[in-house]
Amino acid sequence: MLDAYVTALGMVLDPYVLFVITASAIYGLIVGCIPGLSATMATALLVPLTFFMPPVPAIAAIVTTSTMAIFSGDIPGCLLRIPGTPASAAYVDDSYQMTLQGKPELALGIGLWFSVLGGLFGTAVMMVASPAIADFALGFGSVEFFWIVMLGLGGAVFIGSSTPLKACISLLIGLLIAMIGMNNPAGQPRFTMDSTEMLGGVSLIPMMVGMFACSEVMRHMVSDGSAPHAVVKKIGPIFANMWRLTKQYPWQLIRGSALGTIIGIQPGSGADMAAWMSYAMSKRFSKEPEKFGTGHPEGLIEAGASNNSSLAGAWIPALVFGIPGDSITAIAIGVLMMKNMAPGPTIFVNNPENVYAVFLVFVIANLLMLPLGWAIIKVATRVLSVPRRVLMPIILLFAIVGSYAINNSLFDVGVMLAFGVLAFILEENDFPVAPVILGVVLGPLLEEYFINSMIKSDGRLIGLVDRPIAAVLAAITIGIIGWTILASLKSGKASRQPAQG
Amino acid sequence: MKFNDLFTGLLVLVLSGLVAAASWSLPNPSEQPLGPSAFPLILSGLLALCAAILAVNGARATQGGPLVGLADWARSGSALARLLLVPAAVIFYMLFAETLGFLICAPLILVVLFLAGGTRSLQAIGLSLAAALVIHSIFYLALGVQLPWGPLEPLRW
Repeated sequence: MLDAYVTALGMVLDPYVLFVITASAIYGLIVGCIPGLSATMATALLVPLTFFMPPVPAIAAIVTTSTMAIFSGDIPGCLLRIPGTPASAAYVDDSYQMTLQGKPELALGIGLWFSVLGGLFGTAVMMVASPAIADFALGFGSVEFFWIVMLGLGGAVFIGSSTPLKACISLLIGLLIAMIGMNNPAGQPRFTMDSTEMLGGVSLIPMMVGMFACSEVMRHMVSDGSAPHAVVKKIGPIFANMWRLTKQYPWQLIRGSALGTIIGIQPGSGADMAAWMSYAMSKRFSKEPEKFGTGHPEGLIEAGASNNSSLAGAWIPALVFGIPGDSITAIAIGVLMMKNMAPGPTIFVNNPENVYAVFLVFVIANLLMLPLGWAIIKVATRVLSVPRRVLMPIILLFAIVGSYAINNSLFDVGVMLAFGVLAFILEENDFPVAPVILGVVLGPLLEEYFINSMIKSDGRLIGLVDRPIAAVLAAITIGIIGWTILASLKSGKASRQPAQG
Repeated sequence: MKFNDLFTGLLVLVLSGLVAAASWSLPNPSEQPLGPSAFPLILSGLLALCAAILAVNGARATQGGPLVGLADWARSGSALARLLLVPAAVIFYMLFAETLGFLICAPLILVVLFLAGGTRSLQAIGLSLAAALVIHSIFYLALGVQLPWGPLEPLRW
């Protein structure tokens, strides 16, 4: 293992990789900081560029961009009361209050410092836990993997969503889109409408660029695109009080990081849920809960550490089983697959150095966040004043060229547009978009595992649950789905009763 | 454009029916019990079930209201026009990129979108040219993507 780590270190310290990490860090910080541009969109737009890179820098770019963007989403939250990413929304009241009290450097400093500590905590857990889980999973057969994929999809739809029924429809649409092409157990062209371009299935990159970038441009077009004004012009020393706060609130830091990592590991719940749950937990156990929401650092520390630690946590199932925890890891899995690094337990046996390189990139990205995060905070008020009406057309052009670049094909530009329109319509009608991506990424795997399991058991459904681990996984999956259905029926009844009364 | 859940449910129900019909006719050359149609059929069945629940919930909530509501932006002609500019720009690129080339198509698209967003004309022209050149450099020079040149072919660098 040590040898593999040394090889990985050599791969990561390559000047080209370091350049990619630094460039994507700056990019992620800037995009995450601009309200209306999400961490997922930053990652999706980067994918066409990673297509032209070797595996390690490609993954490094994705990891670094997402890590930085989740942190810098705190900046507009603090200065404008507009969270840059949903993961920053949980504690925006506290951080904005601090700004109003003339202490923006304290709120931004907490965001930066505790994001770094939380991120490093999650990375450490990932480095220790993933090889062990992968080792355990090496004995899994198609049935166990079928249930793991089901668990991932079930979690994504039923835990992470406020509208499980609509998320379920989104997921099924994604799974059906994945059926397009010849990539099926019989090798038959399916739903291709006699088009040769469709034989290979829907290209992932144009699809993701369309769903996350083109749809965002469309949403901007129907909204007011003026740049909001920050209330502060000058930001003081950022790290001044951080050591004192770390000593004052060590338990909050550890609790937030640990909860964030656990939530990240759980399929379907990402940085947003980690931040909300940690903030609530911090308030619940605080000695001064009445101060929450008034510019108090405690919740900020716990939730800030939590959302960054969840990012590393989400990579554990992504690397070990190929199950994305959120839309960013779904994109990352797509990139891994393109680079012939299909995630799964065998990747730890076949390409350990590549996996360890991912771990090391996490460490570097989190450490690099300190100086670069400091710099972006210093110029934040200027970045925030860039009008979106200038950015959005440029993003559209980037999306067009990025989709074209993969196969030099204008057909892919059409795919990008079609999925952009689909995502726009879905979101307008409160259908979440992330399950569509999960469905498209995991659809072929799910079908393969299902058909293989069925063939092994001569078509009997009992074959899906007659191995102990498979039975446990099945019970957990069905439990999650059943529990959500019961809960939604109960809440439906509760909301109808007062209306009747 | 915000559809009522009843309308969306019915629409998805029709979609699942179409998928089921298309799956049914798929050949199964391998003679295995589960051919290429099995999985899509299961999925379309589940989709139909979800769509039916959505439609029933929607029908309860609407109780005779309109099936298709319009979001605030959809009532404003200018917002709708700005929205339609996005697909129009992409389709324009698909139709004319080969003949006009990237360096003519891209600035044209950008100028129109900038002006629609309220950017002043001189600024829009300058920004369009600069942005197109930067994106061209990233993809053509740095990544080696063969972007079409069109009539500017003699200038190819």
